[in-house]
Amino acid sequence: MSRTETTQGLTISAPISSDRWLTGVTMGFLLAVLIFFMLYPVYDICKLSFFRGEKLTLENYISYFTNPRMFRSLTNSLIVSGATTVITTILAFFFAYGLTRTTIPGKGIFYTISTLPLIAPSIIQGLALILLFGKNGLFTRYLLHTDWNIYGATGIIVAECLYCFPNALFILYTTLSAVDTRLDEAAQSLGASALKTFYKVTLPSAKYGIASAAALVFNLTITDFGVPVVIGGNYNVLATEIYQQVIGMQRFNLGATISVILLIPSVAAFLLNYYLTKKSYALISGQARPFLQPSRPFKKWAFTIYCWIPCTFILIVFATVFLGSFVKVWPYDFSLTLKHYNFPSLGGVAPLWTKFWASFLKGEWQAIIAYKYAPIWNSLWISIFVAVGGACLTLLAGYIVEKKKPKGEQVLYTLSVLPAAIPGIVMGLGYILAFNKPYFFIYGTFWIVIINIIICNFTLGVLSSIANLKQIDKSIEEAAVSLGANPITTFARVVFPLTKTAFFSNMTFFFMRAMTTISAVIFLVSAKVKLAAIEIVFLDIDGRTASANAMCTIIILIVVGMLVAMRLITGRTALKGMSATT
Amino acid sequence: MGRNLRLENLTKKFGTLTAVDHVDLEIEEGEFICFLGPSGCGKTTVLRMITGFETVTEGKVIFDGRVINNLIPQKREFGIVFQSYALFPNMTVEENIAFGLKVRKMPKKEVAERVDQMLDLIGLRDWRKLYPAQLSGGQQQRVALVRALAPNPQVLLLDEPLSALDAKIRVRLRAEVKRLQQELKKTMIYVTHDQEEALSIADRVVVMEAGQFRQVGKPIEIYQCPNSSFVADFVGTSNFFKGSRYEDRVKTGKREFKISQSGPPTEGEVFLAIRPEKIEVFKEGTLPSALEPSNVISGKIDVVTFLGAAVRLTINIDGEELISDIIEKEFAQRQLKQGEKVLLYFPPEAFIVYPMTQREGIS
Ligand SMILES: Nc1ncnc2c1ncn2[C@@H]1O[C@H](COP(=O)(O)OP(=O)(O)O)[C@@H](O)[C@H]1O
Ligand SMILES: [Mg+2]
Repeated sequence: MSRTETTQGLTISAPISSDRWLTGVTMGFLLAVLIFFMLYPVYDICKLSFFRGEKLTLENYISYFTNPRMFRSLTNSLIVSGATTVITTILAFFFAYGLTRTTIPGKGIFYTISTLPLIAPSIIQGLALILLFGKNGLFTRYLLHTDWNIYGATGIIVAECLYCFPNALFILYTTLSAVDTRLDEAAQSLGASALKTFYKVTLPSAKYGIASAAALVFNLTITDFGVPVVIGGNYNVLATEIYQQVIGMQRFNLGATISVILLIPSVAAFLLNYYLTKKSYALISGQARPFLQPSRPFKKWAFTIYCWIPCTFILIVFATVFLGSFVKVWPYDFSLTLKHYNFPSLGGVAPLWTKFWASFLKGEWQAIIAYKYAPIWNSLWISIFVAVGGACLTLLAGYIVEKKKPKGEQVLYTLSVLPAAIPGIVMGLGYILAFNKPYFFIYGTFWIVIINIIICNFTLGVLSSIANLKQIDKSIEEAAVSLGANPITTFARVVFPLTKTAFFSNMTFFFMRAMTTISAVIFLVSAKVKLAAIEIVFLDIDGRTASANAMCTIIILIVVGMLVAMRLITGRTALKGMSATT
Repeated sequence: MGRNLRLENLTKKFGTLTAVDHVDLEIEEGEFICFLGPSGCGKTTVLRMITGFETVTEGKVIFDGRVINNLIPQKREFGIVFQSYALFPNMTVEENIAFGLKVRKMPKKEVAERVDQMLDLIGLRDWRKLYPAQLSGGQQQRVALVRALAPNPQVLLLDEPLSALDAKIRVRLRAEVKRLQQELKKTMIYVTHDQEEALSIADRVVVMEAGQFRQVGKPIEIYQCPNSSFVADFVGTSNFFKGSRYEDRVKTGKREFKISQSGPPTEGEVFLAIRPEKIEVFKEGTLPSALEPSNVISGKIDVVTFLGAAVRLTINIDGEELISDIIEKEFAQRQLKQGEKVLLYFPPEAFIVYPMTQREGIS
């Protein structure tokens, strides 16, 4: 062995590597954003609920729990969320089973239809149910002439089931297509009956997936605002009660208190979902799925019919709202009209847009295009900013967490996945409390709305970025570095092109969320900043249901336009594997 | 003295695990060095410390007289070839090769010339517009090789570059690597766990085990004079006997071999190692008379495996298995068959003796 003497050679001192410097700065920036725009508002809510002035007190909680009407919002929330969770999970499970374990025809159509609720605000389910089963519903008033209507718990549960269906389906579909079907075949070849195989093999092997889908549905339902606000009637739930207390009665302290109460089940469901998803993925084997045996005719027919049931409901919802926006007086006069698209004067302007159209349009047209459509234009602009900003930030966060792994990376990861645990309505209230201050110049502008939507949907963006970056071999990046590329070149020329698909699908996701979200931003709109999705709520509250339908239809068309554009750009369906949280 | 690369007392610890354990080595400019060792022995870790992707726990990496421990990877100008090829899937062959040149802001015309030159080196001119996914594994690795060579690195490091390829292509490509190395006179450090590969291409081989360098030497030295029973076992195939030595005799079981190695250990418990091709095999009754009688043992041929030009015999001697390789011609001439009783001759000078303490438990 050649043992050499110690060299006297000169040591090259470490230049602060630009790589570590950049990583540090980026991580610091992301941490600052998450702490300031997520933790700080939540902290303000907690503070307001526990303090009166400087004094720690439980006063707010006592008044909540001693007021029967307010307290009922908690039990109501638990009842509707519990019922929705059970029903949706069961429905979606068998639907996923049909898509993954049987050889029914038309799986693609079923899958596509079942994802439709994601492209619309949750409120659409409520609007459709009201048109069909409300006081002036097509069925209730026109066909059956009954006084029964769907307002209240029933309506909320039915609407939430439809809204949560695709979210539960994604998880169950992944679970069931990953679990090795050879287990089932092995059991059957050992003589177990089909039913016994299902109970003893299929169900247990999917148990984490089922539980995690259930937790997600619970979380989505208990935090939703759009559905209960239109169809709840007098049936108050936590999310609507927060809104009532704050906007109706200016009782911010009670709003904050209810927010904290809502945070508990929502965070618990989120943690459960997160934990179970990890467990469920750990069970997934990387093996290719063996060929599916052709199902027996009875099974095939039964599942085909079964799968059409939720799909039919979803199609009816969309068709109803669409139609409802074009008929004169639902359900009495079905002659077609465009007048509901001439919204009542909503007030508000959109920068650039209003000026541009007002400069050459006159009279009625000027009012419609330049002013009445301003909220739509605002929503579109905001959604584009959210799409680009959200996709960039979550890609950066994912890149740092997955590839750079600097010290404190765990903190960044935890803060990045946390937003999904915080209900949008709570975050919205937190923003008022934290940022409605004269020196905070972006409050009351578009920017606060953009930031809010990005933060509220950060989790899914980061998780999908991480999943995608995991697939890039570490040595590809090292190859670039060893060839002399600096960190920015490496990222721009090598890493980014390889994550482009995930980036575009994240953009689509953020865009959809920005167009359709209600709960997060309802506290942030003002006379100056108006949003299309929020206008649906206000139009509905004003009793202008048909115009609410029209606004909803416009939002859906914009989202569909975006999906088509993305499909043309990337050649892929962006909706696959995407689900909404919060 | 050229631009030598020197490792001094180099050590890497991952927590409590010492992946690389105080190793020293001097690599001359233009030398072709192979790191050879079983998986997990720390080869990649040594390489990554040289390239700067892994920090050094203790010791120094010295290049051209300068300690470069803290130099960032892109400043080291060392080329790397990865086992997984690591070609950029979003770029064509041409763009892959040009990448290292463009980031150095080389003028366009020179880049084009250099890319042509590189493509000619591997005879892949026609493939320049293809994407990596359209190439076979062997072609991809060729591209990876010239991509790393294009910016004219000071040292080229290759981490098991061929182990993802199938046997035939592996042999062809390793000849190509050797040819390139000789043509370009580039310092190359080549990591492999395949002893045949290491012996056939390296100027010097470093045999690693458990984070340490067990032996450094020319391939022929390593093969013929392994300095430990580990090296004897890992490099090539060896038969081992446990025994105790006194003077030129080693007693093993009820047998006693005469040996001619005079060096240490001269007495006490030892291992005897002998290469399979050194053992001579005769049919009963055909034994030449001049042979040392104590070094002849009788056995039975259990298995016959054809290796091409040679034949590997697994021979049972009193329940123990032993491997002997003889050339195919001799196998035929001596009319050996499976199940046949044979006499084995162990030439005294073919035995290598190791102290027992080095490695326990080899039978
Ligand atoms: N980043 C790391 N963290 C912890 N242990 C590591 C890391 N990299 C390598 N090791 C360990 O160091 C040892 C040597 O690894 P490696 O250099 O990759 O071996 P080889 O390339 O010879 O197969 C192994 O035991 C491996 O598990
Ligand atoms: Mg290795």
